[in-house]
Amino acid sequence: MTLTDERFAYENFESIFRQTLQDLGISRSVLGFRIIANPGAPYFLISIRLGRARSAIKVSDMSQLNPHAGGTALTIIDEGWAPALLNKLWQRYGRDRVEQMTRFEMLVRGVSVDELSNLELDPGEELKAKVLDAVWRLFPEGFTVRYEIVDERAMTIIGTEHDMRPEWIDVARMVHKEMSAREADPDV
Amino acid sequence: MYEVLMYDGGVYRVNELYELVEDVGGFVIQKTQIQVQILVTMAIPEEERPVIEAKTRELGGKIVHVPLAGTEVAVVAPTLGRHHMPHPTCDIAEQLRRLGAITVVMGLARGKGRRTSQISADEKAIIEEYDAAVFVLGNFKDCILEHKVKLFEEIEIPVVVVCGPQMDDLPHCEAIVCGVGRKVERMRREEEIARLNEVSVAIEKVVKERRRFLEEDPLFVHPAEVKDRIAELEPVERSLRPAPVVLHLDGLRVKIPYKEWKDQIAAVEVYGHRLGDIATISDSRLGGSTLIKIKTRSEVEDHDRRAKKG
Repeated sequence: MTLTDERFAYENFESIFRQTLQDLGISRSVLGFRIIANPGAPYFLISIRLGRARSAIKVSDMSQLNPHAGGTALTIIDEGWAPALLNKLWQRYGRDRVEQMTRFEMLVRGVSVDELSNLELDPGEELKAKVLDAVWRLFPEGFTVRYEIVDERAMTIIGTEHDMRPEWIDVARMVHKEMSAREADPDV
Repeated sequence: MYEVLMYDGGVYRVNELYELVEDVGGFVIQKTQIQVQILVTMAIPEEERPVIEAKTRELGGKIVHVPLAGTEVAVVAPTLGRHHMPHPTCDIAEQLRRLGAITVVMGLARGKGRRTSQISADEKAIIEEYDAAVFVLGNFKDCILEHKVKLFEEIEIPVVVVCGPQMDDLPHCEAIVCGVGRKVERMRREEEIARLNEVSVAIEKVVKERRRFLEEDPLFVHPAEVKDRIAELEPVERSLRPAPVVLHLDGLRVKIPYKEWKDQIAAVEVYGHRLGDIATISDSRLGGSTLIKIKTRSEVEDHDRRAKKG
């Protein structure tokens, strides 16, 4: 345990994490967080209570699908989903088969209307990726030995410089359990 | 002792100012002309400031205080990653530039972490080429006290440390500015600007101290005088780098390759002496540059005396 007064570090880490969440547009999706840093050990721990992401949506609910020669033409109705949709289509069918013609129109070659209309987008994954991005921005750069605990409600990451000790992982498990059970933090 | 000032005014009758600077025993360090406006950085003896101020008023210009003009300062962060680098480091460098310093921002190759944080001999040698260094450190007091002090403990130039936690004292550095730490945005708030001012005041003090030390055994010539002669060299005239000749407190950095031009540089004549005899000319660790360290008056006199005897 460190004997130095680390109040500045705690306050600073909290404020930069809040700002990072704001920059990434996910402040509302994170219901609470806790940062524990023990420079004497050393380890750095962050536990985040995840909020609920937008519910999953079918492609047919946010775009119009029409048969097209050799594939399907999509016209996006809700533009908010466009980046996620394009990403999903690229992952699934490859960049060669997906063409974005205009801001709202896409062409997917070799895929039927039925197949596309049943495709679902899961914003939960997107949220987790963004939260992880915020964590990596915050996490001390040299703490590359990491251990993660993730479930539907919370995400806890502990990192250190050399060997990860079992007692630190126990601390992470305990904090994770508390965080999972926690209700929304009104300050976040 | 010399004081560095900047004239901000028009080009009309500015030659009168140049003549006055020369008459009082000063030097023009840099001239930047933008159409009919001109910025002139000059070094004058401290006691002649009222004369220069009077002339400036007569010409309708104003005097800007640039206490760091004629210095080159390194702003060092543990790494170039976003955890350490962007905001405080760049803001500090910008603050020092506004006061006339030429600054270089540098990240260490293995500076990240706690116990793993380290500085190489090469990096130390590069930092020591500058007049002073600012080390921008992070949030944890324990980490700074136990490990990060090792980054600058053997650095021989003056070091100012900027960090987050409040600390009264830190070994191996000339000054410490607390309350900065990690940032995810630019330092724009009132209290942050106050911290930036504290950094510049600390560097100013360090530079003043160093100038006073140099005055005890003055340099044979002021670096600005050598700059005038060096600037006439063909490769320097042709150089497209923004500041091909940079002044240091005790010499200059000339941004032309040492190996190719060392003989021509050494042959430059300054007050009847070869530059090679009144200065130590060496290769810079930063590729493509040459360092000139001017010898003190006593060193040159001693050298002349020995030469006569010999």
